Amino acid sequence: MVDINVVEAKGTARPKRVIDRLGLAMRASHVLVALFVVAALIFAAVGVIQDDRFFLRLGTEALIFAGLALSVDILLGYTGLLSLGQALYFGLGAYVSAVVLKEVPSFWAAMAAALVVALVIGFLAGLIANRVRGVYFALVTFGLAQVAARAVYNTRSLGASDGLIGVPVVPIDLGVITVMSNSPAGFFLFTLGFIVVLYAVCAYLLDTPFGRVLLALRANERRVPSLGYSTRNLRLSAYVLAAVIASLSGALYPMLRGFVSPELLFFTTSGNAVITVVIGGVGTLAGALYGGVILTVLKSVIGSLTEHHLIVIGLLFMATVIFLPKGIMGVVRPLIERMLRGGKR
Amino acid sequence: MIRTTLILASLCATTALTAPAFAADPIKIGVVTPLSGTYTPIGQQVRWGLELAASEVNAAGGIMGRQVQLIFEDEEANPSVAVQKAEKLFDVQKVDFLTGTVNSGSTLAVGQTAERAGKLIATTVSFADSITTDKCSPNVFRVNARAGQQSTALAAWVIKQKPKAKVYFLGPDYEMGRSTVATFKKTVEALGATPAGEVFAPLDSKDFTQYFGQLRQARPEVLYTSVAGNDTVRLLTQMQDFGLLKDLLVVGASGTVTSQNIAAIGAAAEGFGTGVGYSTQIDTPENKTFVAAFKAANKSDPDLYGADSYGLIYFYKAAVEKAKSTDTDKVREAMRGLEWATPQGKKTMRAGDHQAIQPMYVVRVSGGQFKIVGNVSGEEAIGPDDCKRF
Repeated sequence: MVDINVVEAKGTARPKRVIDRLGLAMRASHVLVALFVVAALIFAAVGVIQDDRFFLRLGTEALIFAGLALSVDILLGYTGLLSLGQALYFGLGAYVSAVVLKEVPSFWAAMAAALVVALVIGFLAGLIANRVRGVYFALVTFGLAQVAARAVYNTRSLGASDGLIGVPVVPIDLGVITVMSNSPAGFFLFTLGFIVVLYAVCAYLLDTPFGRVLLALRANERRVPSLGYSTRNLRLSAYVLAAVIASLSGALYPMLRGFVSPELLFFTTSGNAVITVVIGGVGTLAGALYGGVILTVLKSVIGSLTEHHLIVIGLLFMATVIFLPKGIMGVVRPLIERMLRGGKR
Repeated sequence: MIRTTLILASLCATTALTAPAFAADPIKIGVVTPLSGTYTPIGQQVRWGLELAASEVNAAGGIMGRQVQLIFEDEEANPSVAVQKAEKLFDVQKVDFLTGTVNSGSTLAVGQTAERAGKLIATTVSFADSITTDKCSPNVFRVNARAGQQSTALAAWVIKQKPKAKVYFLGPDYEMGRSTVATFKKTVEALGATPAGEVFAPLDSKDFTQYFGQLRQARPEVLYTSVAGNDTVRLLTQMQDFGLLKDLLVVGASGTVTSQNIAAIGAAAEGFGTGVGYSTQIDTPENKTFVAAFKAANKSDPDLYGADSYGLIYFYKAAVEKAKSTDTDKVREAMRGLEWATPQGKKTMRAGDHQAIQPMYVVRVSGGQFKIVGNVSGEEAIGPDDCKRF
């Protein structure tokens, strides 16, 4: 996976950038995200015409969980770290946002608080988790999330096992327009924009030399120090970036649903995010968005049809792993790449 | 997948457009309850109770000539899932009323969703006091007894047995365990008992003998415990081995000794007492008919949850017939102060906090089975109205 370009890209001012294999893959992801946005806009338009509430809000929830999946993909797909505790940051963002909104109903204050807390906690937890590798990293992240979940579960001022209700509907002042968080179409479109921005930030960072070295880490961690990079700082940066993405996504949850509960920090949330990434396609970023929508819709539809929905989802997950090891994006993206390459020549 | 959603969305929206409410249309009641996971046995009882009552009501002509239709959704005992399913039932299925939530977190979150959607819900299971006290909602009703009622009934009975008793408290060391002990302590102290000491053991403790020294030194007449599951098994059997159960009245929360662990506790459970809102042994003709019908339909005994859920359908029926409408505001008005008959006896919905007042029972283990040993009237067990929102 390590490309010669990784080394060359460092230090040079990147004059005319050669589109290598990885750059092409990233462009293909951009095309897929553009298609995703178009589909989402059509969905929103139909929703508005039909005066729908439920499906638009379900779609919004899917996008929020896609944000969480995005953060898992940064770790799993780009850095080669399996985090089984990403719900820690999702729940952290959700609780911070809920607590702030109950005090001051300001969208930007809630987001700023979620960002700062994620930076601090992500950095501290990252120091602990990044001391170990492989399966131990998975276990430590899992353990950290369990500790946080238990702590919240037993803290009366955070609502303990009942969670916090009564998070008000907030106006989101975007300068030109103000979106209310209880407007189904408005908040859906806002969340879509927000998640696309998160995607763009991740895609940009991962396409810089920083991202290339992360890929090198995934491919062969022992060789990276010999190229002159500190693996600890790199891994820590990736971990904190993922923490921030998860926390900011989580911060939107109480705005949509009006409450938070300790279940948001539980393993089911982390596990679903990993399943989302695997179904969508590991290391594609766009796969997290598609996977998020697919899993949320599947759970909602199958859950209403049968109480054995967990079995059905489990079987679908296994089938994906066996027949589509690179996820849905593994099938679709090469086609787009071929088109892009064809267009260039 | 987006496309599938679109098709679904448009399908649902078109059916919604073409369906103005006919008088003969069924009354839809949404049920968001755990059908998978740890709480499945509770969800099962909720389902059985509701289905039995609905089929009886339907056989007798329905509610105002309209049949009752139950629509089930699995909430997985997770508030996030429960809220999503509740929105689906409100917006897509257009249910008139919603029930079924089990854990208190789900009830509170779904209650808020109902409030924002302008619909009514009732819980038949959640017992956290907060639902009808500091976190009460004008759109949420509770037809089952809350923790405070169980505690009051038990405290009243304990004081009758041992006036001015010295009571020792042993709880599991987590939020729920501590608050359960605190509630009982406050209630029983107000009735004249003296606390002899308290200790909190970590959840899933293997060895309780380390606390026995303190317990013995305090010389209590009564031990109150709110441990549950296998912790109860170890606590009571270890106490028996140490001869501590002699001349000690052991009482506890309603979840301390249950049908799941009573066999494992064996003889050490003998004499354990607790306060409950329902027992199959209630000696009234209404209850006997109910138990027989429930057994015939489900090949299993009803428990507290099955009985409370069964009673809910009759509560809703009485309210709709009084309001002559399924409109939220009219039904809410009708529900306030409503009296209705259930297998547990007459219940009254208190208008001030939407908490049902019902007779409470004290049951005690005798020969490996719970037997009713006392009852406390609804008015005596209900406690003050602490809801300040409406």
